[in-house]
Amino acid sequence: MVSRWNPANAVTASRFLTLPPFFWAVQHGYHQWATLLMLICGLLDKLDGLVARIFDCRSAFGELFDAITDALCYGFGLVVVAVYGWAPVLPIVLIVIMGFINSAMRGQYVKRVGHTTNYKSYAMERLVAYTGYLIGFATGGMEVSYFCWLYVPVMVAILVYDGKRLLIDPVPGAAA
Amino acid sequence: MSTELVSDNVFRWALTILTGGFAGAWLVVDAVSLIRSRHADRSDPVVRDKHFGYVIGMAIGVIGVIGCLRFWNVL
Repeated sequence: MVSRWNPANAVTASRFLTLPPFFWAVQHGYHQWATLLMLICGLLDKLDGLVARIFDCRSAFGELFDAITDALCYGFGLVVVAVYGWAPVLPIVLIVIMGFINSAMRGQYVKRVGHTTNYKSYAMERLVAYTGYLIGFATGGMEVSYFCWLYVPVMVAILVYDGKRLLIDPVPGAAA
Repeated sequence: MSTELVSDNVFRWALTILTGGFAGAWLVVDAVSLIRSRHADRSDPVVRDKHFGYVIGMAIGVIGVIGCLRFWNVL
């Protein structure tokens, strides 16, 4: 049994430390600082998996904690850039709503499985990276509308696919 | 104290390299992964999940590369 107090989860938790200075940078119009802070948040996301492998402390809780941290950090980032007018509001609202739908479906999946687990979605992993970039595009002023609006149909496709896997398809390992 | 870390031009190039470089690499890696796993048993849900993930990765890669070209007014 791996303790929840392990180096990988500490790295994951440290991502929250980037949020207050990120908010400060956006509030003061410091585009480059905001981009750098979101980049650090994204790099820490990659680092926690590496730390988990090095210290052999991978766990179902760690995977779930990582997914929740992704949602909170990137959700916060998206809302902040939209509120401060650095990104178009409508696609960001749609993205956040779909994020909640995804969380609800994953919660339902945990109920179906009967214990803490994180459904591994290869497509959603890629979209999470896109989300980090999306905030970076907003802070960097790089084709913001283009990237925001194209994100929406990609996320819809993933939600439909993952929704079927999470809510309808048989749970792996369950008796037929 | 300056509020800028680097000049605007360097910042634009950094964004382009970070985006275009990763998006282009991602597109190639996922395309190769998809081709390599084309004969895998698609009745296995995990294989289907991986294939779908590769296709989404390729789509995001294309979006990223086109975004970079638009950023520099090439498209």
